[in-house]
Amino acid sequence: MSLFDIMASILVGINVTMKVTLYGMLYAVPFAFVFGVAQHFTNGIPRLIVTSIIEFWRSSPVIILIYGFYFSLPGLGINLSAMTVGAMVLGLNIGGYGSQAVRAALQALDPGQVEAGYALGFRRLRILYLIELPQALAAMTPTFINQFIQLVKGTSLVSLVTLADMTFLAKALSQIHYAPAKIYTALLIVYFLMCYPATIVGRMIERRVSRGREVSHDL
Amino acid sequence: MQSALPPIAVALSNVSKWYGKFQVLTDINLTVKRGEKIVICGPSGSGKSTMIRCINRLEGHQRGKIVVGDTELTNDLKKVDEVRRDVGMVFQHFNLFPHLTILQNCTLAPIWVRKMSRRDAEEVAMDYLQRVKIPEQAHKYPGQLSGGQQQRVAIARSLCMNPKIMLFDEPTSALDPEMVKEVLDTMVSLASDGMTMLCVTHEMGFAREVADRVIFMDAGQIVETNAPEAFFSTPQHPRSKLFLSQIL
Repeated sequence: MSLFDIMASILVGINVTMKVTLYGMLYAVPFAFVFGVAQHFTNGIPRLIVTSIIEFWRSSPVIILIYGFYFSLPGLGINLSAMTVGAMVLGLNIGGYGSQAVRAALQALDPGQVEAGYALGFRRLRILYLIELPQALAAMTPTFINQFIQLVKGTSLVSLVTLADMTFLAKALSQIHYAPAKIYTALLIVYFLMCYPATIVGRMIERRVSRGREVSHDL
Repeated sequence: MQSALPPIAVALSNVSKWYGKFQVLTDINLTVKRGEKIVICGPSGSGKSTMIRCINRLEGHQRGKIVVGDTELTNDLKKVDEVRRDVGMVFQHFNLFPHLTILQNCTLAPIWVRKMSRRDAEEVAMDYLQRVKIPEQAHKYPGQLSGGQQQRVAIARSLCMNPKIMLFDEPTSALDPEMVKEVLDTMVSLASDGMTMLCVTHEMGFAREVADRVIFMDAGQIVETNAPEAFFSTPQHPRSKLFLSQIL
């Protein structure tokens, strides 16, 4: 089997990999924004609750959460499909990291921005989405691209709960052909080819959002 | 139009404020008549910024009463909105929105808060940018302008909301010396149009030219209120004398 043949066989699983990535994003992006903003807005006990939820998803090993949700929850009568478990756990884990990018970007803004908003008669939520988020977005973009790449790579873990993604197929191939070096090299190349364009797109976005929008440093 | 408005623009009575245990304002009493220009000065930490920030509720006060126009400031958000709609504020560090063009900076609040159409808001904004003499910068971003230009945009941005009272919190302190004049000229022209103004500033020339009264604050209290000429030439209170001897 040539390297090319192996890659072609592995690519059969790309739809599962992409599905997990896409569904994962559907969990990650809303979680990152809702919890990042909530952490920025709250104080005291509410903030402690928000932080605990974020830390649960961020600080637990993904593999253990996947096993836990897939193999243990049925014991409590809750049956989630492998796809749901994979997308949710990976998505919320990445979303947990993303929420910190959102919070940090919001906190890094000059508090004068919010004050200027108040002075002009805006309410808090309007200030958030008209003044704070558009500026914070530029600062979060690089982190978000990194998180996205982490998510793509993380999808390889769903191969452990029966989903036939690219890693699952590579594992199966290597058991049949017994050529792990060649097969896993091919797998690495396929993941790299998927992730590298994201890096390039990320750089382009970064350049676009920062163009002509230098922060007023010359005070 | 002037006659329809209450004759008292701002009234603070026995206003006190604390940050934790530290008292920043002590029994402040101040009545500002419609059209009056007040200059507030005093050493740093004397509470002058805090006082004017209480007038549009960027800071809350704990004791006493603040009435702006007909509205008493309480925790009621509706009242706060009412007051903020009539009170413009210019900050030391301009606080322009860096992600928006100059024109968008000026139209954001009229469109979202006053519910003006984009076209009307842009027309009003261009008028005010003309008045502060930078209409040609309308499509640039704040970061591309000099400090003096940015502060003039900040003034125009406030005026676009058609405020009845303007608060200035050290508007020239962050500027390079050669840019102070262009901002002060804008403020002088605003004053000559009859705007009610409260300015925290140490610009003596501006105070002399424009102010009806100078208020000197120290340690959270109003220590002296005087006509500008008298305040600068023959200050009454020992602390005013000391302060003036240090800055002149």
